Amino acid sequence: MRHLLAVLLALLLFTLPAAAQAPRDSLVIGLSQYPSNFHPNIENMAAKAYILGFALHPVTAYDAEWKQSCIACTRLPSLENGDAVLETTPDGKPGIRVTWQLRPDWKWGDGTPVTPEDFRFAWEAGRAFETGLGPAEFYRSAYRFESAGPHSITLHFDKVTFDYAGLGQFQPLPARIERPIWEADRANYRTRSAYETDTTNAALYNGPYRIAAVQPGAGVTLERNPHWGGPAPAFNRIQLRTVENNAALEAQLLAGQIDMVAGELGLPLEQATALQRRTGGRFRFHYNPGLTYEHIDLNLENPVLADRRVRQALLHAADRAQIVARLFGGQQEVAHGGVHPRDAGFDPGIPQYPFDPARARALLDEAGWTSGAGGLRRNAAGETLSFDFMTTAGNRTREQVQQILAGMWKTIGVDARIRNEPPRVFFAETVSKRRYGGAAMFAWVSSPENVPRTILHSDEIATAARNWSGQNYTGYKDAEVDRLIEALPLELDANKRRPLWAGLQRRVATDLPSLPLWHRSDAHVWPQWLDGVTPTGHQNYSSLWVTQWRVR
Amino acid sequence: MAGALNLLLWRMPQMAITLVLLSLAAWFSIGLMPGDPVSLAMISDPRLTPADIERLRALHGLDQSLIARYLAWAGGVLRGEFGYSRLFAQPVWRVLWPALLSTLALVGTAVLLAAGLGIALGALAALRPRAAPVVDGLALLAQAVPSFWLGILLIILFAVRLGWLPAGGAPDAGHSALPFLVLPVATIAFGQMAGYARHAAAALSAELSRPHITSARARGAGERRLLWHHALPNAAVPLLTLLALDAGALVSGALVTETVFARPGMGKLLYDAVMGNDYNLALLALLLVALVTMLATLLADLAQRWIDPRIGER
Amino acid sequence: MTRLHLGLALLLLLLLAAVAAPWAQAWLGTDPFAPDLFARYAGPSPDHPLGADELGRDLLLRLLYGAQVSLGVGLAAALAASVLGTALGLLAAWRGGWVDAVLMRLADGLLALPALPILVLLAAMDPAKLGLPRGEAATDMLRIVAILVIFGWVGVARLARAGALSLLATDYIRAARALGVTEARLLWRHVLPGLAAPVAVACALAVAGAILTESVLSFLGLGIQPPSPSWGNMLANAQEAVFEAPLAALWPGLAILLAVAGCALVADGVARRGR
Repeated sequence: MRHLLAVLLALLLFTLPAAAQAPRDSLVIGLSQYPSNFHPNIENMAAKAYILGFALHPVTAYDAEWKQSCIACTRLPSLENGDAVLETTPDGKPGIRVTWQLRPDWKWGDGTPVTPEDFRFAWEAGRAFETGLGPAEFYRSAYRFESAGPHSITLHFDKVTFDYAGLGQFQPLPARIERPIWEADRANYRTRSAYETDTTNAALYNGPYRIAAVQPGAGVTLERNPHWGGPAPAFNRIQLRTVENNAALEAQLLAGQIDMVAGELGLPLEQATALQRRTGGRFRFHYNPGLTYEHIDLNLENPVLADRRVRQALLHAADRAQIVARLFGGQQEVAHGGVHPRDAGFDPGIPQYPFDPARARALLDEAGWTSGAGGLRRNAAGETLSFDFMTTAGNRTREQVQQILAGMWKTIGVDARIRNEPPRVFFAETVSKRRYGGAAMFAWVSSPENVPRTILHSDEIATAARNWSGQNYTGYKDAEVDRLIEALPLELDANKRRPLWAGLQRRVATDLPSLPLWHRSDAHVWPQWLDGVTPTGHQNYSSLWVTQWRVR
Repeated sequence: MAGALNLLLWRMPQMAITLVLLSLAAWFSIGLMPGDPVSLAMISDPRLTPADIERLRALHGLDQSLIARYLAWAGGVLRGEFGYSRLFAQPVWRVLWPALLSTLALVGTAVLLAAGLGIALGALAALRPRAAPVVDGLALLAQAVPSFWLGILLIILFAVRLGWLPAGGAPDAGHSALPFLVLPVATIAFGQMAGYARHAAAALSAELSRPHITSARARGAGERRLLWHHALPNAAVPLLTLLALDAGALVSGALVTETVFARPGMGKLLYDAVMGNDYNLALLALLLVALVTMLATLLADLAQRWIDPRIGER
Repeated sequence: MTRLHLGLALLLLLLLAAVAAPWAQAWLGTDPFAPDLFARYAGPSPDHPLGADELGRDLLLRLLYGAQVSLGVGLAAALAASVLGTALGLLAAWRGGWVDAVLMRLADGLLALPALPILVLLAAMDPAKLGLPRGEAATDMLRIVAILVIFGWVGVARLARAGALSLLATDYIRAARALGVTEARLLWRHVLPGLAAPVAVACALAVAGAILTESVLSFLGLGIQPPSPSWGNMLANAQEAVFEAPLAALWPGLAILLAVAGCALVADGVARRGR
């Protein structure tokens, strides 16, 4: 027994990983999620988008200033420079033709150039419904593909929207490899694609890095793409490690196993601020405001919540600034509505609801809810002012906020009964089929200047008749809001859009179909020696600009 | 030997029936869980039209009844087609295999260590009555500590404060896996040790007071020899049963340890598959785990017969 | 003897603590359900003898209220499993034949199943589809108890069956039968008391198992939902912030440890007495 122990101990001591003494040519990043697949055009998912950001470049992306910019094109199309041309579709609708000029040095990892054929294939596969790439709307709208040369692609759209210059998540796919696979079995392409069966094939990647090794569920190893034509990145190798448990992620960071935690998929804000307090100068912390909007949807079919005064009272009684200060170390902004203050469409004149319990009580009195026995308010019919308050079970931050809010509402005589469900049940059933009785707290993730059509338009109210499609879960119906939402995307002039945005926000902030809480901040944790990471706060993650990352 | 053959003939169909019933039960309980793949697709693409959703349902076969889908799946399995994992876009075996290996390494090491330490402690308690209360207390402690709590305490101490061992995760290709095994193995082994220590102590002290041992002792046999050659073989039967039960239960029960230490494995995979509505993966993983459990029990029964042929007929 | 007493004393103490929760609350004068953002992770003080949790609520009081839930779940699950298991085991032993065969194959099958994934499966099932209200604390408790009983009865049934078989084969019972004692009376008066000791042992261990399982389910986010405190969800919440406030994780862990140890001591004590 004693011998065995000695041998074990010896083995341990000699096989310990040599802790980061080598010159810094590699970087280990901790992530809280593992991607479920690696195909760039199937299902948008945060972990995949972050990882593929190192290895695949889109044509366009929003930059850190939340402006549309070129990643793999030479100039952004516009009506002014002639790359975008208004036209009429064959069936007589207003349409637009947009041409992107591609970077001539853009190559796949095996040295072959990225060609218009690669785009044509991606477009064809996306349009085939049985293949099931998303988003369906983009492929429906882009009805024709052309190419006027080896570095030029053109798409015809049957809809004119102000964000025509962006290609979103539509990316080229290496047609030489993927087309035969797709043609052999279109319906099963999503599982047969080389991105899933041969993930480490260098020819699948066209960014600064390529995926060199995959450990399912645990991590991905990236190595430099030898045929990358742009500025050289600083690291030979980047390891991405998935650690889903927050305490374990923090432990691995403290133990030096990971160098940094990606803010996009990292520690909850309150954990990060606490970590910063404790570790002092060991790491660099950066809190980046982002486009994740945390809010509470109110079910307007609930007679209690159908009264606007009650909804306004709830918001007045919620001391959001205090929660942000105490729970989140003051590192994120209280929201006044779904549009982020940094967004081009934000209206500074939007009605606001500062913490004001007296005003809240007055509003409730006015609405006929008077203080009754046990401190709870009742109406004339003797019903108590009470509703169900739901969120995702197991999300510690939300559960905390929920209990704090319920406590605050209790002080003005409102009974919010907490009832939580696992995320899968909550989103796939309760919220999307509008079966939450009262209030549901969750977040919307959006992109810059995103028109909230699916959330606020009355056509998007999820019902059985519509197969529960649509994300207007509150049941909000307002003709003026509908009109603004329809007009907004069609207005190509940014200055003329501004009053439309303002009108929309004021209207919604007055009606309050949902209670705004805050726009979430991402907590980035970097080693002191790392420089140049620029968080964006939206779905084009910092990994897209990895060539700017530098060792100090 | 005929007994062993009989046992196998008797057990095989029983195992097959259990697996079929289990797969049915699991299929329907996943079916009873809210949310199907299409509602998940709707969340990721909010602009899907009602017509798209209809077509998606047909594409995924969700317009058919649960039982029809089960029969289709079972037919595929019988033909050796296990299908693809919805979550990982991979053939299920490619997802399952590494997870199974990782878990078997973890659980195998932990159970062997637990049995070794536990039996050693039990022997100590049986041979030295003065050590018995200490062993007892230790076993009590081991049994009562919630495993995820222990795991986190170990991480704080050995990985964060002392920096001796990795806090979790898996090694990079080409590096030794051993350091990554130590803490999770210790977490599982400590909890499991209790059972072995108690059983070994009880069985050994009972054996050591039996007449043949007493007479051997009178003939001058050393305590150590008595323990190894006389008492332990006889005490081995219940311990083997315990070992088999543990090994089986732990293959899926490693979930908590795997989560705390961020190790990919069967427990985590099964959990994700069930939660992610991944029928193919969840079903096969569940059946595999059940099969491992039943095989472990079968092996233990066979071994019992080999050690103690008297058990033969029931 | 001493083990049994020690274990019983421990459990009794915990039960008393659970019952005393409202008085303790009145005495301390703080509301363990009202968040106080200014007292997050506060250290021990006269107001908060054990400190405060992540929402500034008193840890001691939450432990006491949590004891009601945790011990309640543990006892309910163990008692239900014991009653069901004893009844089925007794039935199998007494009737024999196909009843015995079916029950024992069912037990074998359940024993062969991987428990945790099935617990997860059951815990994630939608109670609304079974006509139960979702998310209520009582539903949560009921759900967890039901899940634990489904697996818990097997062990007890096997013990009870084995015990009953050997008792039914004794000359004493045969003589009683020959004297015309009714079967019901026979089982009730002569067989059942003989099963008391092994069933008590199994029951005590089942309480321990249930408390630990509840903590594991809470760790996976499938346990008792807030705002009701249970030791399991207190521990699960605290483990996420273990670097920030290690004490918050210490207390519920210790409470679970004591309860489980108490049960194990009782089981041990009963077993030794029976020997």
